[in-house]
Amino acid sequence: MKKIPSDTDIAWCPGCGNYSILKAFDAAVEEAKVDRKKLVLVSGIGQAAKLPHYTKANVFNGLHGRALPAATAIKIANHELEVVITSGDGDMYGEGGNHLLHALRRNIGVKAFVHNNQVYGLTKGQASPTSDYGFVTKIQTHGVNVQPVNPLALAIVEDASFVARSFAGDGEHLKAMMVAALEHRGGFALVDILQPCVTFNRVNTFKWYRERVKKVSASHDPYDRDEALELAFKWGDEIPIGIIYRSKRASFEARTPAIAKKTLISQYKGAAG
Amino acid sequence: MSEVCAKGATMDVNLRIAGEAGQGVLTTGELLVATLADMGLHVFSTQVYMSRVRGGLNSFDIRFGEEELFSGRRQADILVALTKEALDALGGDVREGGVVFFDGDAKGGAVGITFTQTAKEVAGSAIMANTVAAGAVFHCLGYDVKNLESYLAVAFKKKDKETIEKNVKCARRGAELAAAAEAARLAAPKGVGAPKTVYNGSEAVGLAAATAGVKFVASYPMTPSTGVFTYLAGAADKYGVVVEQAEDEIAAINMVCGATYAGVPAMATTSGGGFALMTEGLSLSGMLELPVFIFLSQRPAPATGLPTRTGQEDLKFAINAGHGDFARAVFAPGTLEEAYALTRRGLGTAHKWQSPVILLGDQFLVDIRKNIPVLPDQYNPIDRHIVEGAGEDYLRYEVTESGVSPRAIPGGNAFVVLDSDEHTEDGHITEDLEARVRLQDKRLRKGEGLAREALAPTYYGAPRAEEILVSWGSTYGPSREAVDRLRGQGRSVGMLHFAQVWPVNVEAAHERLRDAKRVIDIEGNATGQFAGILRQLGVIGGCGLMLKYNGLPFTGEEIAEGVAR
Repeated sequence: MKKIPSDTDIAWCPGCGNYSILKAFDAAVEEAKVDRKKLVLVSGIGQAAKLPHYTKANVFNGLHGRALPAATAIKIANHELEVVITSGDGDMYGEGGNHLLHALRRNIGVKAFVHNNQVYGLTKGQASPTSDYGFVTKIQTHGVNVQPVNPLALAIVEDASFVARSFAGDGEHLKAMMVAALEHRGGFALVDILQPCVTFNRVNTFKWYRERVKKVSASHDPYDRDEALELAFKWGDEIPIGIIYRSKRASFEARTPAIAKKTLISQYKGAAG
Repeated sequence: MSEVCAKGATMDVNLRIAGEAGQGVLTTGELLVATLADMGLHVFSTQVYMSRVRGGLNSFDIRFGEEELFSGRRQADILVALTKEALDALGGDVREGGVVFFDGDAKGGAVGITFTQTAKEVAGSAIMANTVAAGAVFHCLGYDVKNLESYLAVAFKKKDKETIEKNVKCARRGAELAAAAEAARLAAPKGVGAPKTVYNGSEAVGLAAATAGVKFVASYPMTPSTGVFTYLAGAADKYGVVVEQAEDEIAAINMVCGATYAGVPAMATTSGGGFALMTEGLSLSGMLELPVFIFLSQRPAPATGLPTRTGQEDLKFAINAGHGDFARAVFAPGTLEEAYALTRRGLGTAHKWQSPVILLGDQFLVDIRKNIPVLPDQYNPIDRHIVEGAGEDYLRYEVTESGVSPRAIPGGNAFVVLDSDEHTEDGHITEDLEARVRLQDKRLRKGEGLAREALAPTYYGAPRAEEILVSWGSTYGPSREAVDRLRGQGRSVGMLHFAQVWPVNVEAAHERLRDAKRVIDIEGNATGQFAGILRQLGVIGGCGLMLKYNGLPFTGEEIAEGVAR
């Protein structure tokens, strides 16, 4: 009757970009020496949000779009936990868009890994907030006629403490970005992961991305906001991947007096349990 | 004094201070409440205000007497009108022989005392007009102005001596001006050694939450729930609480879910519209089995309704909110003491049964200001019912007879896995439909436990009364006064008060109500929501309904008149 996580049937399509993201994630957790007992994976709803079930960690798989507020409070309650959100473009930039704005303001020390496939997979192929203008679906029958969200630029404008982009088709690069995010101690980290959807997105394919992604040059100073914004606005023939932006803001945990010295959970004294 | 010395009631005085928002109505009210309590009188005060920061008409009623009071009263004995609008609107609600003060020249029957002008002359500041008015009121009541002085000295202890002296001067000058204007002297109750500690409803809920060990509060400000939110923010440093203003109520409830998962008791405060946004998260707490606690302070609806007024319109909503079937408890305190006790009990219940609990208040309850015995302020945390030492074979949702599974928190040896999807005992997503039924049955068994523990309704009044009033939540006080009044008229009347409205203790309710010749349900909504629930549960058949939904609380005299009619 009892199932262990590794027994859970994986619900992703064969060839899905999520497999390489999962592989990179597990490798990054090892490399960054994250104690899995102290790792909490928080997710909402979507194909990316199922990732926590396919690895070993504590899991809070909540509501669509609401991973951020749950993760925020988990981190506030016990900031010794490593809190990582695995989310998709719909979950994080659509339904959860308002929470993203405020998580950036708070600079809460959770890491958001966003599997951005520019389409809604779980509901079978509608446009997502990052679908390109003109992308045709069964709902957007004349093509998407609104502008896509630019998550990187948004995060940089809000002075996010860590902003990176990677590509599911480059496992080594993705792992490196995840490790950098996991090792980041200055607050909120956003890693936008370009992830081809082999079933519902026939435009932004592995091939399409491979022809366009370009690692940011070693000379890029991530603390240079103007330069970072310039990279964030690049989309089309060339799509930059790498650590785009960093800032030196203090994290929410460090700024909040009640938890600056010790975790909130450790302050619960008294009655049994 | 026909109104004051109503049959069956001892003497009490109703003082009404009215003016625009921003004029210091609240400050004057607080000054007088604290002073009267300090003098050993029983004080009960309520507020009526408009949804605006400046202007409009706000009023602060202070009723005080020699016996404990539970309700406001329509007619004032003394009206302090700080504006002409207040005088015009409320002058008619002063009893024959009462006193009306007006901040200006004498007008109609009103005694004109230029409070503002006097304050400017005496203290060089219009702000102290309140103190001038308080002095004038004390003259009418034959109370020594020294009582005001001693409170002022305490209240302003952090300010400079000059401010205190100026205030004292203003109070004395107010009394002199009232004497010079030959304002009527009213018979006034004497101090009887009543408790000196004054609380309002928001403070009672907030203090109980902080002492019970709430460590995290996430809310979006919404009248009339903001008082509790504000209290907890003020108490946060003392008790070690993180109080976070969420970007919206959806964030607030999901934060509370996250914090409780991580192991700290947590709560949100909200009102009807905000609670509506929380309903998906409430359902989540049912599925994840998290001890979520929500203070839902009601106001008239639908939609934005009357934002600053009172009502009891969210009862059915609180009981039914959220998609799907899941167990919950809903408490509805009727007094400040009950607000404190049920906040603590509600948090304890949420943790014991790993289920959401809602505490239903309303504007009337949170703004009641009353002197009562001291509420404990020592940190005295509840039992979180967390298991220690869970290992790698831990199952978060182990099926048990009670439906309660051992609760571990992340960070130990056990992986704690929660999923809003249907899940197996280990917390992982499943579409095994047998597991679905097994887990849903497990979760719902907690509802049976909650029902077994449901508080019995409390009875007050004549033994085996022929007529029984049914109250829940804040209608307790006015109903109780009505029972006293009606019994004073020789009627066989009692009341049954439900401080827990879900699950209902059906047996205890039935036992009390089955022999009554007449049952009258008293509610602050237009449809008799609680009566409907009692009918559904088979507790009552037909009953009389006394419903009020104009945004104002019931008064004891109003209920008594309605019953006698």
